[in-house]
Amino acid sequence: MIALPGLNLGAQAPEPLNAPTTSATRTQELSANTEYRFEVSFARSLTIKLVTGTAEYFGTELAPATTYTFSGAKGAVFTWHGCRLEIGGEAESEYVAEETQMMSAANAHFALEALRERAHQMRDAGPRVLVVGPENAGKTSLVKTLAAYAVKSGQQPTVVNLDPRQGMLSVPGSFTAAAFSSILDIEEGWGSSPISGPSPTPVKMPLVYHYGLRDAEEGTVFRPLVTRMALAVTSRLEDDPASKSAGFVIDTPGAVAQGRAGVYENIEHIISEFSVTTILVLGSERLYSDLSRKYSNSADAIAVIRLDKSGGCVDRSDTYMKALRHAQIRAYFFGNSEAGLAPHSQSAGFEELSIFRVKEECAGSDMQFNDGGDAYGGAAEDTIYERVTPSSEIVNKLLAITTAAPTEGHAAIRDASVRGYLYVAEVDEGKKRVKLLAPQPGRVPSTAVVCGRWPEDVASLVG
Amino acid sequence: MSSISDEVAADFKDALQDLKVNSRPEISNLTLIAKENTEHAQAISTVLENHIRTARPEWRLPSLYVLDSIVKNIGTPYTVYLGRGLYKTFMEAYSKVDQPTRKAMEGLLRTWKQPVPESMDSRPVFPLEMTSDIENALNKMRSVQAQMQSQRQVHALPARPVIAAAWRNTPTPPQNGAQFGVPVDPRARQVPGQQFEQYPQPTPTPDQFGQLMGSVDLNELKEEVGKLIATTQQAFALNYSDPSLQQKLNALLQLKRMLDTQTLPPQQLEAVRNQIRALAPPPAPTPVQMPAFVAPPIVQTPQQPPTLTFQPPAAAAPMNLAQMLANFQSPPAVTNPSPAPAPAAPNLADLIARMTTPQSSAPNPAPFYPPSFPGPSASTPVPAPAPAATPVVAPPNNLAQLLSSFNKPSAAPPAAPTPPPFNPALPPHIPNLSQLLAHAQPMGPAPPPPNNASWLLNALSGLPNAGTPSIATPIGSESMTRQSSAPVNVQNDVELTTASMKQPRLHLISRLYDAKPNICTTCGRRFDATPQGREKKARHMDWHFKMKDPDAAKRGVHRSWYFTEKEWIEYREVDETAPDDTANGPSGAAGRVKKQAKDRYVLVPQDVTLAHAPCPICQEKFEPQWSKDANDFVWMDAIKVGGKIYHATCWEEYSKGAGIATPSTPDSVLGKRTAETSTPASGKKLRAY
Ligand SMILES: Nc1ncnc2c1ncn2[C@@H]1O[C@H](COP(=O)(O)OP(=O)(O)OP(=O)(O)O)[C@@H](O)[C@H]1O
Ligand SMILES: [Mg+2]
Ligand SMILES: [Zn+2]
Ligand SMILES: [Zn+2]
Repeated sequence: MIALPGLNLGAQAPEPLNAPTTSATRTQELSANTEYRFEVSFARSLTIKLVTGTAEYFGTELAPATTYTFSGAKGAVFTWHGCRLEIGGEAESEYVAEETQMMSAANAHFALEALRERAHQMRDAGPRVLVVGPENAGKTSLVKTLAAYAVKSGQQPTVVNLDPRQGMLSVPGSFTAAAFSSILDIEEGWGSSPISGPSPTPVKMPLVYHYGLRDAEEGTVFRPLVTRMALAVTSRLEDDPASKSAGFVIDTPGAVAQGRAGVYENIEHIISEFSVTTILVLGSERLYSDLSRKYSNSADAIAVIRLDKSGGCVDRSDTYMKALRHAQIRAYFFGNSEAGLAPHSQSAGFEELSIFRVKEECAGSDMQFNDGGDAYGGAAEDTIYERVTPSSEIVNKLLAITTAAPTEGHAAIRDASVRGYLYVAEVDEGKKRVKLLAPQPGRVPSTAVVCGRWPEDVASLVG
Repeated sequence: MSSISDEVAADFKDALQDLKVNSRPEISNLTLIAKENTEHAQAISTVLENHIRTARPEWRLPSLYVLDSIVKNIGTPYTVYLGRGLYKTFMEAYSKVDQPTRKAMEGLLRTWKQPVPESMDSRPVFPLEMTSDIENALNKMRSVQAQMQSQRQVHALPARPVIAAAWRNTPTPPQNGAQFGVPVDPRARQVPGQQFEQYPQPTPTPDQFGQLMGSVDLNELKEEVGKLIATTQQAFALNYSDPSLQQKLNALLQLKRMLDTQTLPPQQLEAVRNQIRALAPPPAPTPVQMPAFVAPPIVQTPQQPPTLTFQPPAAAAPMNLAQMLANFQSPPAVTNPSPAPAPAAPNLADLIARMTTPQSSAPNPAPFYPPSFPGPSASTPVPAPAPAATPVVAPPNNLAQLLSSFNKPSAAPPAAPTPPPFNPALPPHIPNLSQLLAHAQPMGPAPPPPNNASWLLNALSGLPNAGTPSIATPIGSESMTRQSSAPVNVQNDVELTTASMKQPRLHLISRLYDAKPNICTTCGRRFDATPQGREKKARHMDWHFKMKDPDAAKRGVHRSWYFTEKEWIEYREVDETAPDDTANGPSGAAGRVKKQAKDRYVLVPQDVTLAHAPCPICQEKFEPQWSKDANDFVWMDAIKVGGKIYHATCWEEYSKGAGIATPSTPDSVLGKRTAETSTPASGKKLRAY
């Protein structure tokens, strides 16, 4: 394996006009229980500094006199006590909202906190929360707020992300779980997975699985993976007392909330695999009523609670979501902060890579789910993936480096956790070589790598 | 000055007021505040200068380190503002502080003449004109003192190499002033992975045993212990978050109990008394019997004319004039020949006042008639002005290490430890407390648990504790990682129902704010207003400091691999505020002398799969190599973690990013397990004297 200096990593992404258009700042006074909502494009940046009072961003408190820079973000700075902000840069839209949903988020937190305290005393398991709702209902924002409040209260909550459209501590298309024992990163959303150098916010340690499909299809990968993650998370919680009593919160894609004729198979699957104790339904009346009918009175009495959707939630366009995903992928290799990360470009022969890809027929969300009682696999063993020889088809795609050997069965590959991702920069079919971008130097992994059908291709990641 | 400036300055002042020891986290915190408020640099500089000029002498050095840290880490505009009054600030502080502090200040001054280490800027920290003014003044002072000193030698009894004898059995050579030449720039000393480093401490004054005295009056001794307990209690009341004070207090109480319940042989009582006095110098009138220092290596014979050139004060007599004078004025000891009555005592402030014109180079010793001094024992330190400030004067010999010979690994105290032989020809060696306690234990119903002797001693001597973390960290041993949100007397009765979610409960919000009033200004994390909370915050600030690594980019930082499932399940989150002796402790525990990664090795594994497994991080195979040390084939640069073998350097890199501890001694493959593994509890280290 040779490093290729020719890949010209210096040219990371055409640098957008990230500088604030003016250096002038303006002052924004907020009275208690209001929030400053803003949207800022990827091409601009907005700076916010707390001058006096207290303020928080999805539950994480702003440090006094620290300037936070947002780019490609939509969010709100909320204050319980009133504050003065100093704002610089240009927002696509901004306004102050008097009516917010923060009190119900806080109430939810305090209710969970009471359960956690009890669990701690009894050395029992804490609340296991599932957040569901239609797209852009504010699920991820709520999960973040609950995690932030829990951390602030000295808890160590675990967060599980089952939404392939937006990554948590990893690239989109991955499913992750992480215990949060340290403050969330206001600018980066959650924080950063480990890097080889110092990090301004304590790093988080995610467990990562590759899903690699856009939707929560029925059968082949989604549910088995949920099962697998539930197993891992449960095992961790079983012998980590701090995690156990704090419990976890699961974020889901809006798609699982659609269901079929009042039946939500994916939600039900998550609930049973993770032994969910509390369901928070955001927005949708219908989903709430369907779920409470099913669970509120069931033997294991799951609390089903409806929270109002925040007026601040914005519908995010496909273009925005795509840009968000690209930013996440870029951040995986190049980092987010000014300092940046130095990924490694390398070249590998075709024979060095064992690439698997989910078969097309398994990927479709409309595939009839053949519920024959076998392990959620309509697909039998070894019919999930196809081996692919590198071709122009995989250029600009991510390859997930699994911990499974290429010789293992497909189910083992599917269930294997991920060590990291490679980016296919170039395929030379004549020379039978692939140019790859890896997060760090070293050999091409000999384990099975999985080529996702999702997220969408990322052109121009490498210059 | 704007009102915001006033506010910032007031905050900064408050923070300064809390700075009583050379606590690196506090110093870095203050530096960060200064850095984030450069627009208020003038106000901050003024506050800092005033503080250095007016604070209690013993608090000045820490604040000088703040100044130092600010000018080196931030530079302009602070160098400009602080440079203006530097002469005055420095000299006023210098005139009031004790000798070790002066040494430290001189060390600082030296570094200010040089560029900031590893900085692109080749200019000195402060313009040379500024530093040379100060230097001139210092030289003048020294020459005056040297003169006085040489005069004193005339009257002094022949000096005896007391200290050398007293130190004979100490494993650590006495420290000397040289260490203060080390630049104090945190960046220069900051190796990623090292934490809780301290700013250099003032040189401990030489320990004060050295001469046998007559029999010790037990009651008097008890009284002295009692007094010391009282002052320590007061200090503790003022600063109850200081674990070292708490320990010291415990140790003293223990000692008192011992004195009350056991009969100790006279020499041991003697030793106890000396140590007690070393801890809390008795008031001035106490007979000046304890030789506290050696004669200078170059003994000036009475015939030599007083020299006006500066004598390096390294091992020389104390130069704290105030102390000398206090001694001098105290009634002479009965056992010593009365010195001639002293002429009017010059005081340092006067002395400096006469030198306030830096340009004048002529020393002006004339008006000072050198006082004569009784015996070699010139210094009974003046009692510290206030109990809270009583500096714990650590004997320079490392008692902890010394002790380890008594409390060796897990073995019970040796049945009959041989006290070092007394050689009547030499100044007798006084058994130190550790030996004493080792003796004492079998003698009576020794209250202390097995390792208590070392704990007691360490506590008394203010040294970091070695090897007894469980006792040494009374605070840390509590569950630090889990404290449920401190309720501020508000009942959390929120039910988990849809209706309940809509009720406003603003009173509960205090749980997220007021319950933890102590906020980190860097990241917004909050801490309890308890000693534990403060300690956590200190560690947290230290963490921030560690993470400000300007060279990280140059090294090519990259994303680490994610955990495997098994690793994740077994991983326990590391809170950057947790004491570093916890299971997953962050890498680079306090002051741990880490084995260089590349020097680590593991024996070539017997297990076939393991023997063929590459380094999981870089996938490179290991090459067996014969090791003389291990007398076996080994893999160099290797470390075994969780059943796998990694390149030690790969692991180090990885774990640095991940915040995982590098096991200090994996699976007992390293030949020697030495004192390096006994890491003092960091919480204490932060405040170690
Ligand atoms: N109170 C608020 N003020 C301003 N913006 C907000 C607010 N709450 C949420 N948003 C923004 O609205 C968008 C949608 O919110 P969020 O991502 O939490 O919804 P979601 O339900 O997780 O969406 P998806 O179904 O796509 O995962 C996000 O960009 C989020 O930052
Ligand atoms: Mg979401
Ligand atoms: Zn902080
Ligand atoms: Zn390696």
